[in-house]
Amino acid sequence: MRPSTPVFAAIALFTLGFAGAGLHVLATAPGEAARMEASAALVRAAGLTDLALFTEARYSRHPSMADLHSAFQDAPMSFEHFPSGTFVSPPVGFGGGRLGGSAEEVAQ
Amino acid sequence: MTPWINRQRSLADYTLAALGRRKGKTFALVAVYALVVFVVASAMLFATALTREADLVLAEAPELTVQHVKMGRHEMIDGAEITKIAGLRGVSSVEGRLWGYFYDATSGANYTFQVPSDPALVPGPGEAIVGEGVQRARRATWEGAPLFLSRFTGDMVKFEVARTLGAESALVSSDLVLLNEADFRAFFDLPDGVWTDLAVSIRNPREIDTVIDKASRLMPDARFVTRDEIRRTYQKLFSWREGLMIALASAAVLAFAIFAADKASGLSADEAREIGILKAIGWDTRDVISMKLWEGALVSLGAFLIGTLGAYVHVFGFGAGLIAPVLKGWSVIYPDFRLAPLVDGMQIATLFLLTVLPYTAATLVPIWRAASADPDQVMR
Amino acid sequence: MIELQEVTKLYNEGRPNEVAALGGVSLTIARDAVTVLTGPSGSGKTTLLSLVGLMARPTTGRVFLDGEMISGLPERFLTAERRTRFGFVFQRFNLIRGLTVMENVMLPAAPLGEAYGAVRARAQARLASLGLADKAEIPVEYLSGGETQRVAIARALINDAAVLIADEPTANLDSALADRFLEIVAGLRGEGRTIIMTSHDPRIWGAEVVDRVVEMRDGRVVR
Repeated sequence: MRPSTPVFAAIALFTLGFAGAGLHVLATAPGEAARMEASAALVRAAGLTDLALFTEARYSRHPSMADLHSAFQDAPMSFEHFPSGTFVSPPVGFGGGRLGGSAEEVAQ
Repeated sequence: MTPWINRQRSLADYTLAALGRRKGKTFALVAVYALVVFVVASAMLFATALTREADLVLAEAPELTVQHVKMGRHEMIDGAEITKIAGLRGVSSVEGRLWGYFYDATSGANYTFQVPSDPALVPGPGEAIVGEGVQRARRATWEGAPLFLSRFTGDMVKFEVARTLGAESALVSSDLVLLNEADFRAFFDLPDGVWTDLAVSIRNPREIDTVIDKASRLMPDARFVTRDEIRRTYQKLFSWREGLMIALASAAVLAFAIFAADKASGLSADEAREIGILKAIGWDTRDVISMKLWEGALVSLGAFLIGTLGAYVHVFGFGAGLIAPVLKGWSVIYPDFRLAPLVDGMQIATLFLLTVLPYTAATLVPIWRAASADPDQVMR
Repeated sequence: MIELQEVTKLYNEGRPNEVAALGGVSLTIARDAVTVLTGPSGSGKTTLLSLVGLMARPTTGRVFLDGEMISGLPERFLTAERRTRFGFVFQRFNLIRGLTVMENVMLPAAPLGEAYGAVRARAQARLASLGLADKAEIPVEYLSGGETQRVAIARALINDAAVLIADEPTANLDSALADRFLEIVAGLRGEGRTIIMTSHDPRIWGAEVVDRVVEMRDGRVVR
């Protein structure tokens, strides 16, 4: 077999993969558009302004609405100081309790 | 097949056979190169998709939000202000919004409480609509588990969960607890007639500045936040994170550049001798250069394709798991979201140019002298 | 037919290590014959060979190929002529290590754009005629000295060169292998090819197959 045969085949395969990715984008677009439209409808109906990405602190839950002057805005135990807080999460399992464990307990 | 294709294929054959003599080294080179492309492409794809999602979804947010600011801090706004703003020309509607935060000590998470503006979404008395993240955070073990909230020791308030907001809107709703107005005021012990802030709809977006100008004269102690500002905030946030990621990757890029430059510039004695042989048996300068172009192009194109395709699958198939900590940040309630697949042609083209061209050029430069040497050199 | 007129060749021209390799050589080499250039080391044999084979251009003087002056042509044209009409067997054979026999033999055809299958079939036939049919897929460094030379000959002839040029072909071979080489040369001459080689091996210039011996000394043709 010529050395170029497997290599060209692999390149062709990856190029097809690229085309596949493009088709995947196109194929999922209507569904995704509907999903995003539903999210947009929720934003309209609930009157939301921000993304629910970083929910610990006022200034990160609602960056647009934050009063940036206040101190101690972060979650308990988290590093507030940039950039530590970006990389180091608070201790796992902190606040690990639970209220109302089962249907029977609640019925009592 | 045309002679041109035959010639190119034969030259590629030679360059691959020559690379094949050091299989391990060649594979390592392509793998490291692909990894660098993978990291950069993942950051690009992720940030672009998230920015678009935020753009589309937040396009439905109110055009203008008005907050009352006291002592430099956000305070409740009086309902009387609604009529002040509603009277301004260009304003189509003004609504008081009620929202706030609640730290749930049992789950260790912050929830965002809000009263929806659309009556169709308002839950009944004693009911709540919650986001998917809330359910996860409190480890709700069965469908319809009521929401118990404790504001202080000995206190317990119970809401029936009327509905859970699905994962498809998690990006905006993950930590939400929606209540009706009466429950909200009772829970937070708020008097009637005050609101968290005001959501203002403006018919013509070009009039927003005029409205703000007039409103700020009526309400000197207010802060105005426009939808456009929110959009820009998110764009900056994501491009900042993408930039951080690429800055981290740049160390790898640099290391790779040194590796590639070392490999490319140090044309070994063996390689120079082989080029001499090729010249002697009838290859001309252009043949040698074309052959070397194939080497650079195949290595860098391979790395580009593997890296970029891998990044696509990584970001849109596996939620960018490997680089998520840097790209997404952390949160106790992190929305469980999948991004809508999106490929920006310009961005991919830029990545292509930045990966394939420099490497191909780097393999070519040192070959120039050897390729133009006299063919009779091997006889001397 | 190859004709040289008053050809000189300087190496490292204008520098302190300038060497006059050839000082005014006029020579006509006949078609369909075996010509041997002989003489002591440094007499200019190899330089003359590279001029005859269009590997290098003379410093002064002219080279004619079939009556056409080619010494003034730019490299591109020289290469185009050279690779279809001349085949080279170098003293140290100069095969590319790590590549198989077949890959080495097919190399000179790569820039010409012929169909792969045709070139491969030709290479296979040539290897078979040289007794190397079963060695085609072996990397060249595993071959013996005689086999290496025959691979070099197969490579030189892959583009069906009318002229085979060999530089000291028997320098590294014992007498049995030298005889084998002369058999091959006789066979090629029978195919109507012109063979030009350098040698200071008496086994060669005494051989029956050789038509003409050109003796050189100090960059000039003596006889």
